[in-house]
Amino acid sequence: MANVTLEHVTKRYEDVTAVDDMNLDIRDGEFVCLVGPSGCGKSTTMETIAGLTKPTEGTIKIGERDVTKLPPKDRGVAMVFQNIALFPHMDVYDNISFGLRLRKYDTEEIERRVEHATEVVQLEGMLDRMPEEMSGGQRQRVAIARAIVRQPDVFLMDEPLANLDAKLRVHMRTELQRLHKKLDTTIIYVTHDQAEAMTMSDRIAVINAGELQQIDPPLICYNEPANLFVAGFIGSPSMNLINGELTNNGIQTDTFSVDFDPSILEGVSPGDQVTLGVRPEDVYLTDQSEGVGNATKPKHVTTDVLEPMGNEIFVYLNLDDSKERSMADAEGAAKGQLLMSVDPDTEIDEDQSVDIVLDRSSLHLFDTETGDALLHGLETPVAVSDETGTVAESDS
Amino acid sequence: MATETNPGADSDDKNLGPLQTWTRGVLTDQDKQDRLYRALFYVAAVFFLVTTLFPFYWLLVLALTPNSAILTGDWSLPVLGFEFPHPQGFNVYAFVEVFQQVPFHLYVFNSFVLATTTTIIVIMIASLAGYVFGRLEFPGRGGLMLAILMVSYFPPAAFLIPLFDAFLGNAVAIPFLGIEVFEPPRLVNTPGALLLPFSALMLPLSIFILTTFYAQIPDGLEDAARVEGTTRLGALVRVIMPLSAPGLATAAVLTFIAVYNEYFFSEIMALENVPQNWSPLVGGILSYQTQYTTDFNLMAAASVVGVLPMLIIVVFAQEKIVSGLTAGALKE
Repeated sequence: MANVTLEHVTKRYEDVTAVDDMNLDIRDGEFVCLVGPSGCGKSTTMETIAGLTKPTEGTIKIGERDVTKLPPKDRGVAMVFQNIALFPHMDVYDNISFGLRLRKYDTEEIERRVEHATEVVQLEGMLDRMPEEMSGGQRQRVAIARAIVRQPDVFLMDEPLANLDAKLRVHMRTELQRLHKKLDTTIIYVTHDQAEAMTMSDRIAVINAGELQQIDPPLICYNEPANLFVAGFIGSPSMNLINGELTNNGIQTDTFSVDFDPSILEGVSPGDQVTLGVRPEDVYLTDQSEGVGNATKPKHVTTDVLEPMGNEIFVYLNLDDSKERSMADAEGAAKGQLLMSVDPDTEIDEDQSVDIVLDRSSLHLFDTETGDALLHGLETPVAVSDETGTVAESDS
Repeated sequence: MATETNPGADSDDKNLGPLQTWTRGVLTDQDKQDRLYRALFYVAAVFFLVTTLFPFYWLLVLALTPNSAILTGDWSLPVLGFEFPHPQGFNVYAFVEVFQQVPFHLYVFNSFVLATTTTIIVIMIASLAGYVFGRLEFPGRGGLMLAILMVSYFPPAAFLIPLFDAFLGNAVAIPFLGIEVFEPPRLVNTPGALLLPFSALMLPLSIFILTTFYAQIPDGLEDAARVEGTTRLGALVRVIMPLSAPGLATAAVLTFIAVYNEYFFSEIMALENVPQNWSPLVGGILSYQTQYTTDFNLMAAASVVGVLPMLIIVVFAQEKIVSGLTAGALKE
């Protein structure tokens, strides 16, 4: 049981900075996910906490101890690895008791603890199996049992579910949450899967290019992303991001405008480039928008392709008439397109003309240049005449 | 006209010769194919068994034949008539005489101790070196590895004279300048004069073998061991080495056999061919040869006795090698 503090941790390899001035304060008993794209430095961050990699600069504290220079074995951490990393030449009992035997616990104590750990992960009766005789899920449980049997201060989990099939992954996800509830130990969990991070953690630390972007509870990261990266990374499919210019009475993009009083924004002035962000579920067909109290003026668009998911339909909307579409860079809509999610029973076809509105209270504004968030949600609709006439306020 | 230009196209099995029929059968018929492969396997197996086991048979024949009958005896087989090595009598006493004439057990002991000690030294140092070369990144790794391998490119004889000179206790000096570097202890007639060159000469190969084996162990396993509570050295001993058992066995067996059979260095570093001077097994076998007599039967019997320890070790090591091979199955 301990909190984990990273102060100005930097890890440089010859020509790459893997982790850049990372500051994290993880509280005792917290479940924190480090999430980010591949190669963003999240695994390196975890390795510095485990002691497998020494940081170039900065200090790491576990509890109140400065562990920066301690070897992994003296840090009171246990780790579950992406490749599971069971010792293939030992049976399950030897694997689980490996750390205890190294620490010269007496046999009775080891047996008691192993028994308890196997109960927690539901592996009773498998102690004499070899890892190769077990399924992926069972091996992962052995790895978790090996971690909990030492009763460490901190659990480190480096994409432990990445090698499991989709169904088992969802199952193990809930098991890990249950485990955290039972053990109440600090867990630091690395994943590139934002859905895993959203569902499991108390707080999410979003990392990109070695830098911490935001550390907040999942819903804060979702509803109030600190910058463009977090906005695009958290949520699936990701947020629609549309470049535009700040004007004296709102934001003007290539194809439409949204009106508001720009004086409420700090750090930007009319003429600056800003990015408008809106999640697919905050885009509504005009005839389904009764519940939206704070909607923009309808915009006429045509539908492109549909993706029926069962519980909802994702609709790609063409904002302009240009026929050329660049490929979407990741999940989400291509340039000049907007992704909308509608109810599955909506009658909608490809290449159909529809009118849409955006929920103003769920719009996000970002400074295009710095990427920082300027505003989450436009509160009061302001009636301003719109020169382009494409999207304006429905009423004052 | 057109059909005649391509006579092979419509020919069937009836027009083929026996060899063509058979090859076609092997290609198309699974049963014939299996039979052919089985036959080839037995031919190859018998060939290797005969070439490896026949010398032992011959040794046994020589050992059991009284020495007088070896040069004068009639080697033709009783009924068949042609000459073939077979025992001319049954002189088991030769295996006792081997130990009566010279203290042959002491020669065996010398070689066994030298081989075991060298193997232990080589495996220990080569493991550390193999870990460093196989698992760590550092500047100059390739160059250093090459330098080590270069040692094994030299013929061992190239080292003999300088080593002999040094092991006699003469001061080691820089050539041409005459500046003395240090004065080594007198090591001739001691195991030190043999263990040092054997270890140095066997190390490059073992380092090379262990480097490739240790490099294959997934990083995750070593990381797991270190987080669980071992040092890097502990991870090497508890995880990496057991998982590289086939490689360790290979390096150890090669080293052991090479040193056990070694004669060249041993005979020169032992100033007289007596077991007290750490003369090796081969020296013992040759000591049945005097200026005027050669006891071929005793030499053969001694050779058979000398093979026995190796045989025992290989039988045990084989079990270990096989179990090491099947322990694998890493998920990475």
